[in-house]
Amino acid sequence: MDIRAVVLIGGAASNDAPTTETINGVPIADLDVLGLPVVDRVLQRLEQFGISAISTVCDGRSDLPAFTPRSRFYASLAHVNATGDQFWQAAEDAFVKYAEQGADLVLALRIGPYVEVDYEALVQHHLDRHCAVTMAVDGEGASLELFALSASARTDAAALFKNRMQRMRRECAPFRVTGYVNRLRNAQDLRQLGADGLMARNTIRPEGTEIKPGVWVGQNARIHHKARVVAPAFIGAHAKIRASALITRGSIIEHHSEVDCGTVVENSSVLPFTRVGAGLDVMHSVVGFRRLAHLWQNVEVEIADEKFVGMVPLTAVSRLAGSTAALFAFLPMQIFRGIFAPSQRKCATKIPESLEQASAVLESPVLEVPASGAESSEFPSNLAVARRYGDQ
Amino acid sequence: METSSRPVVVKRMPERMNLKQARKFLKEVEPFLVSDRPQVVFDMSQVRHIDAAGVDVLLKCMHAAVKHDGDLKLAALSPQAAVVLELTRAGRLFEIYDTSTSAAKSFSCFLPNAIKHVYEQPPLGVLQMPVVQPSPDGDPHGGSKQAA
Repeated sequence: MDIRAVVLIGGAASNDAPTTETINGVPIADLDVLGLPVVDRVLQRLEQFGISAISTVCDGRSDLPAFTPRSRFYASLAHVNATGDQFWQAAEDAFVKYAEQGADLVLALRIGPYVEVDYEALVQHHLDRHCAVTMAVDGEGASLELFALSASARTDAAALFKNRMQRMRRECAPFRVTGYVNRLRNAQDLRQLGADGLMARNTIRPEGTEIKPGVWVGQNARIHHKARVVAPAFIGAHAKIRASALITRGSIIEHHSEVDCGTVVENSSVLPFTRVGAGLDVMHSVVGFRRLAHLWQNVEVEIADEKFVGMVPLTAVSRLAGSTAALFAFLPMQIFRGIFAPSQRKCATKIPESLEQASAVLESPVLEVPASGAESSEFPSNLAVARRYGDQ
Repeated sequence: METSSRPVVVKRMPERMNLKQARKFLKEVEPFLVSDRPQVVFDMSQVRHIDAAGVDVLLKCMHAAVKHDGDLKLAALSPQAAVVLELTRAGRLFEIYDTSTSAAKSFSCFLPNAIKHVYEQPPLGVLQMPVVQPSPDGDPHGGSKQAA
């Protein structure tokens, strides 16, 4: 059976679409979770079920980031960029193209939500009920924006895309998903997805080596020997954890990020290419792109000060140039300080003469020893006190 | 326990606390902070952006107030200010109140809040002593016998 897939990225149907499913304008689908973007995780899962003919349609807003490098999965796919109504038209065109190429069934899913669905069971459910369109729903019956479409039902497919995946032309028995579901509406959901991956509550596995139980480290990540990483935690590829930093309580440091000296990252996610300054407490937050989303206070704050949260240069060349410039600025400063800065060495203070003379009290013996040499039968009371405290 | 009749200065902080604004703000509040035992409250309800310079000014003000045997308290923190103060670990150095009024009132109370809380609301699991009412015949233990 020829099954293909159309994956839609972005295109949220709700009225507050620009603010939902994004963090600082970047679609959550494009952001990394434990070393791999959400989109890639979905595409990987489709490939695991033998669906390799995949077409992606991306909302125009999503075509931002140079900082979310497309993986090999994404790069090899047919990709269309569109905005507004053209987005849904492009999705319909992709469906029609697959139908004309002889596909039997087309899966249409929007990211949007991250759903771990058994695609075999979904297809079987669709075939058993002879439906034109089968909708996947969660345990409460809400749509997961995942549909199985018969290639022959072009009218139904057209109606579905025209209605932005919110309404079907003909109702059919929905397929109830029992696997892991995350709506990925905001930073809190993104953090939850990563934390669930670390705790093995879903099938997402960290992209890296498990250097000790519960601690995964990506390629070329650098952790200072005085830094502390408490499991479970994930340090992405090329990330830097500097001295005395503490990464704890399921924190996730994505690739090319930096955590500076003495900073505590607790129950938080640091997004790719983010530099967290020195001596900070990052707690219950998602940090990235010069913003901090506090999960407990449910507030997203722009942080303009580079001393707190900054961006690491996106390209390797600019990172190298920046490091070289910092080195050349650092060395002359140290040389200048070494030559001209006042010495920190402290001279021994001169003791006043009055203190150098021995006290008359100290010169007089405390205990009177009998001149005859005969020992007193009674032990001196002051020594007895000293003895008692000494035993303690 | 009214112990103080000195005035409490409540100062509203500007919307942006960057380097320029922070310096200006520091100049404005400095006369209050160098007075004898200053009692100052910063209302941070309008703060939308605060950077390292802003936090630095807060610490300087705190230092100046404490140096003159006074105190500086923060009130009505905006979410942005609260996040930055938590991020920089500066929040734990200040007494923070929900409103400027409650912050100002707190100066007139002798007991620190932590202790006051203990007195007002005994923790769960602590038995409360029954109120002993003296008996009509003057025996102070009579009431407790009745209560038992």
